[in-house]
Amino acid sequence: MRLTNYKCMAAALLTAFALSPALHAQEFKLGTRSVQVHGFATQAYLRSRVNNYLTMPTAGAGSFGLTDFGVNASSQISDKFRLGGQAYDRNVGALGSWHPTLDWAVADYKAKDWLEFRGGQVKTTLGLFNDTQDLAFLYTWALLPQAVYPVDLRGENIAHIGGDITGRIPVKRLGKFTYTAFGGKQPSDMHGGFVYGITSPPTVPVAKGHITHLDSYGGTSFGGDLRWQTPVKGLLVGSSFLAKDLTTTGINYYWNTKLVQVPSPYAKYTKADHTTGVYAEYTFRNFRFDGEYRRQQRETTTVQSKFSCTTAGVCTYAAPSTSPSSYDYRYGYVAASYRFNKWVEAGAYNSRYIAAAGTNWNLPTNHIYDQTVSAKFDIDRFVDLKVEGHFIDGNGGAKVDRGFYPNDNPGGYGQKTDLLVVRTEFHF
Amino acid sequence: MTNLRSNRFASCVGFQLAAVLLILSISLSAKAAGVKVIANASVAESSISSGDLKAVFLLDKDSLGGGHVQPVLSKGGATHEAFLKEYIGRSDSALQAFYRSLVFTGKGSMPKALGSDAEVVAYVAKTKGAIGYVSGDASAEGVKSLQVK
Repeated sequence: MRLTNYKCMAAALLTAFALSPALHAQEFKLGTRSVQVHGFATQAYLRSRVNNYLTMPTAGAGSFGLTDFGVNASSQISDKFRLGGQAYDRNVGALGSWHPTLDWAVADYKAKDWLEFRGGQVKTTLGLFNDTQDLAFLYTWALLPQAVYPVDLRGENIAHIGGDITGRIPVKRLGKFTYTAFGGKQPSDMHGGFVYGITSPPTVPVAKGHITHLDSYGGTSFGGDLRWQTPVKGLLVGSSFLAKDLTTTGINYYWNTKLVQVPSPYAKYTKADHTTGVYAEYTFRNFRFDGEYRRQQRETTTVQSKFSCTTAGVCTYAAPSTSPSSYDYRYGYVAASYRFNKWVEAGAYNSRYIAAAGTNWNLPTNHIYDQTVSAKFDIDRFVDLKVEGHFIDGNGGAKVDRGFYPNDNPGGYGQKTDLLVVRTEFHF
Repeated sequence: MTNLRSNRFASCVGFQLAAVLLILSISLSAKAAGVKVIANASVAESSISSGDLKAVFLLDKDSLGGGHVQPVLSKGGATHEAFLKEYIGRSDSALQAFYRSLVFTGKGSMPKALGSDAEVVAYVAKTKGAIGYVSGDASAEGVKSLQVK
């Protein structure tokens, strides 16, 4: 890390530290209602060897390109009814691009302890951390296990516009069950990794190669989560399910033999997109262990007008044809951490992603394995600093855009990526 | 050389002994002071089970005997630590992280946290359904004490 980079990180840390006492008064009256305001902001520095990561030029001098923040306000309108909303903005390399988004906006009615209704744009409960993945200050890690919680694909499962039915059911000596059933429409993240991955133009025009313009993608999603706080002190186990029905529409611009672009509209429909997951968390004194495993099975149909071109570059379209595809992704992680005292905790995780479960898992073009070690320093109650090392093997190849993108690595991928992440976080 | 080593050993043992005594005295003082669970007069119950008390502070339960209840926290100190250890089973940082995970996902509000026993008593006294805790020897004027079973 160059001296200027140290200075930038120190400046971010000092700013957060200086702001923390000023900003932690966060409640005011609006008429007779009390309104709570909370917020968070993070800044990270990433430097890697070999491959650029998360659309940032991490392999050179490193990048300060990961910044995000969120601010929320909520009010308890009555004993049972609560309203709130949160704005979120981020810039992660080429993603986010400072386009502010509505992160969540909910009306919540708690009829009983075991029956609660939430409506609006609701954070999706899926596995241990899906709904809290932006809140890095809650975790030991600067980056959560990217196999399950990829920063670049955050927008894919983060929320739904619809509703939840949830509740907590204590069962005497058997512990406590918490259930959530949800359904709605998935908001499109047009500045996320999915769109970036399929629309990034190749650096060199190639005959029959193409660039993609995406008009829209979205559709319904529904699912549920059931977690059991077992009678074994500190042990929680759970399972989640998510089904999506997405439609993607856009235009592929193919280069013909004269390297002139020929437009070809397409639509991609989801026939089935099911994610099932199981997870467990165990805390014992200052130790914490957790892990998740998920399988995502997806079947899609692409409808596209094929065309043929003469050597002179004149193209004629055929009737639209249909081509099916199926995918089987497996991913998960195991993690362990230990809090030494009020100021320091440390841990490690092993995160694994398999792009095509039916083919050889050992190929670096079919997996992303990430062994991570991390230390978190709590500067005060509101500010922390993390230093983290990632030792990544594989890149998923052309089968998947996840952390690694061909456009950011035009010379091709190296098999291994060593990555340093330094991240400071502030919340109030 | 031998004297130097024995001096170092003696000072090391002395330091450890002092540390143990300090820890013991802190834990004993917290124990001696005790924790008193208090409630607003609107709370009908005069006692609460430890399971229900934990559920109220973990926002799993917001009614008691048919009436709405809400937890009130202390910002820190020996009483706060003793209450968390005895009834909640989580450290302060773990509890704060839990509340924040709700607040930043729209799934809950941050409970009121106050800086002293007097402030807790005053807030509980004027807030319908409030349940808080203070040290055993704090004045509980205007609030009722809840027996924890």
